[in-house]
Amino acid sequence: MAEHDDGLIVLTINGREVRAPKGTMLVDAAKAAGIEIPIFCYEPRLGAPIGACRMCLVEVEGMRGLQTACSTPVAPDMVVNTESEVAKDAQDGVLELLLANHPLDCPVCDKGGECPLQDRTFRFGPGRTRSLEPKLHFPKPLDLSPLVALDRERCIACFRCVRFSQEVAEDGQLTFQERGDHTEIATFSGDPYEGRFTGNTIDLCPVGALTSNPYRFVSRPWDIKNTPSVCAGCSMGCNLEITEREGEVKRLTGRPEPNMAVEEGWICDRGRWGYPALRSADRLQAPVLADAVGRRNVPLERAVTEASGLLGARGARVGILLGDAVTVETGFLAGELADRVGGGTPAMVARTGIPGHGLGPIRALPGAQMDDIDGADVVLVVGGDPCTQQPVAELRIRKARRAGAHVAVIGPRPTALDASCEALRTTPGHLLDAAAVINERLQGSQRAVVLWDEADLAAEPAAAEAIARVVAATPGARAVEMCADVSGAGLRALGIPAAGDLLGALEAGDIDILLTIGTDPTTGPAGDRWAAAADRAGTIIEMATHRTGLTDRAALVLPMLAPLEDEGVLVSMTGRAQRLRPGAREAAGAAAAWELIVGITHRIGNPVPDRTPAQAFRRLAEQHAAFAGLDYRAIGREGAVIAAVPQDPGSPAREPVGDGLLIVPCAPVFGDAVAHRSDALEAVREPSRAALAPAEAERLGVRTDARVRVTTPEGTAVLPLEIDSRLHEGAVYLMVGDPSSGAARLLPEDRGPVRAVVSAAAREEVGA
Amino acid sequence: MTAHEIEEYLAPMRHEFADPRSLILPALKFAQGESGWLPAEDMAAVAEATGFSQAYVESVATFYDRLYIEPVGRRVINVCVTLSCMLRGSDEIFDHLTDYLGLDGEGTTEDGMFTLAKVQCIGACDRAPCLQIDSGEQIGPLEPADATCLVDDLREQPAPARYER
Repeated sequence: MAEHDDGLIVLTINGREVRAPKGTMLVDAAKAAGIEIPIFCYEPRLGAPIGACRMCLVEVEGMRGLQTACSTPVAPDMVVNTESEVAKDAQDGVLELLLANHPLDCPVCDKGGECPLQDRTFRFGPGRTRSLEPKLHFPKPLDLSPLVALDRERCIACFRCVRFSQEVAEDGQLTFQERGDHTEIATFSGDPYEGRFTGNTIDLCPVGALTSNPYRFVSRPWDIKNTPSVCAGCSMGCNLEITEREGEVKRLTGRPEPNMAVEEGWICDRGRWGYPALRSADRLQAPVLADAVGRRNVPLERAVTEASGLLGARGARVGILLGDAVTVETGFLAGELADRVGGGTPAMVARTGIPGHGLGPIRALPGAQMDDIDGADVVLVVGGDPCTQQPVAELRIRKARRAGAHVAVIGPRPTALDASCEALRTTPGHLLDAAAVINERLQGSQRAVVLWDEADLAAEPAAAEAIARVVAATPGARAVEMCADVSGAGLRALGIPAAGDLLGALEAGDIDILLTIGTDPTTGPAGDRWAAAADRAGTIIEMATHRTGLTDRAALVLPMLAPLEDEGVLVSMTGRAQRLRPGAREAAGAAAAWELIVGITHRIGNPVPDRTPAQAFRRLAEQHAAFAGLDYRAIGREGAVIAAVPQDPGSPAREPVGDGLLIVPCAPVFGDAVAHRSDALEAVREPSRAALAPAEAERLGVRTDARVRVTTPEGTAVLPLEIDSRLHEGAVYLMVGDPSSGAARLLPEDRGPVRAVVSAAAREEVGA
Repeated sequence: MTAHEIEEYLAPMRHEFADPRSLILPALKFAQGESGWLPAEDMAAVAEATGFSQAYVESVATFYDRLYIEPVGRRVINVCVTLSCMLRGSDEIFDHLTDYLGLDGEGTTEDGMFTLAKVQCIGACDRAPCLQIDSGEQIGPLEPADATCLVDDLREQPAPARYER
């Protein structure tokens, strides 16, 4: 019997009986049985196989000629031979032709040593060529973009990059030109290849044709160490691999074995090329102590002792402010530290971020993972802009649309999905009006996924409640929260509140010592208030990766490790706990925040029992229901989903503060602090700016080339102006991210709704 | 050439093509008729009219030798250099023309009047050696002197209203 009760098809490959589910391609069936069929173009993530490279030719009994194993599905009683003389001859021939114009410059090629073409030539190739004709030569390399370099003679025309551009990112930019014996990858009229995902073509390239410009000639594969870790650039939690050499992060790539439940192996360009920020000029390299003697660098040991002296002083009222990208271990240990400071006066612990009052009902919806979007019949994006805030989510949404899902993007911002999906633009501040449309789109759906934006719905609790009701009433519908903060979900699960009360206490003079961990509150929302409030605390102790607005005022600065250098767990927006593994350590005088906290508790004389993040995690899992039963082993390589945390009930609608135009905060993908610190991203970096609809700009009498003054109750910033006809009137779209621009400071501390007065900037301000 | 003009040109023939990709070729030929080659703006207009990406339209254009993405002369002289013509002396014809036009091999004359190109078989082996002006009839068999006379004749003709390459 060729078909078994378990639905598997039985066939023979190289004399061995192999079982595979119906629809499996021969190449996968063989791989599962431990038989390697060489491939170049086959990549299931790029859609249906195309059989372009001819590398996978195999002999199938009873079929005329040779078959491409990548595009031939298994059939009952098929007899396949991948090692017969005919098949071997075909593999030799194909490789010989693929190499006909390949320069074989492996010794100077970045791909050399980790190159599928090299590996397969050694394993399956003929060993020598019969070709005497001169090879094609091109000037090299060609910059496909400032980030991606193209060596045209190395290309074997496998179509992978072109398929990625056309069918995954759907930007339509990469194509083949001069098809024939001069085929080359190109963009329209040689324009740079622009996009948010261009770097994935480098990972996909099975030869050295596409290489990373920042990584060009930086390292050889035998000099590097690769570490699987997680990107801390946004709340997506994409898995990536860190390449380290001589103590520095030299490269980030997508995982060779992708996490199909998260990023599918794709990472965005900001995540890929943000690593030079680890060694930017403003990185804190050594601890700083400021006391009666003066301001000077001190050894780390001394700094930790000083910190414990300050924090442990009897009666000291301490406030601990956690940044948005600290690990859950750091958050947990900060809580432990809080019980040990002030000689018995417990500290306040808070996180920067959105309080989320009123999000209770929508957070109580059944959660979805990113791979659930693949099988959805309706995908709704409510508020936010995943294309810039959680970029890789955009690729999933596009994939769902290609698979036939109805995709609607509902919210006040224009997004990159508008062109191919249903775009329902709402008036800023009126997401509540969208509840009816959402209800309509969900009618009859069975596997709907609703992605909702934390910041937008926290600003409109009434809309959150209404949408939650609609989604809850739809059978099979699940939700994904697009978290504003990288570690927001994890810190919330630990019960750490947002920082509003801490700010209030600081302003009331109830805090003597402010300890910040991985955050610069002075450049974030309500930055001016934070700066003034920090001054009211007598002493500031700072743990930070880079210089902040508090660095020069702090009594003690403890340089800390960035997520790419640290160990611990981050919880993604879908509630997936994933492990960071240290890829390198670039700041010599820095230590991990968790390690600093452990050291401080030891010196206070009341040590925590943990010596590693793993131990801290085990203890926090015992104490916090959301993490119950989890440890590092359970998290493993794929991550583990934490349990939902009970939420407080909804709260009444909120009114925007201030006068003027409602602010719609936007986060350009290459506009954040990492993009501004990374020299690799210099060419694509976006400034913080204010954007207006043309009619609104006319009404205010401001022009595109001008700068505008934007004033909210939180302060004033002078920003470049952009006029965009896709925007709504009656609102100012605030592109935040660059810490030096002051744009984010205009938002209230809880990032709630706020209005701004916009006017043309005076000349002296423009000069500044 | 605007996308609208191209759309109007394509409208009557749309139903003839099951796959909309097939519209790109007639659209490119039509667009090329205006200036004799395809500036980036014209390809962009074709992309808009057909609904495909600019990059894809360009990738189609680059496949076809007679779709020009670089400027060419008012007249394109295609000299066949495949076997029959070569045996019958196409090299001499080509060299004679380069001398006469003041070119160094293939290329366009400085006055923008002529582009000289070597092409593969144009299907008139019985008339070898032969050449073709734009998309006109094959002309042959030729002596080198005949080719230069042809050039003189062409010089006197007015520019065509539309370029048929």
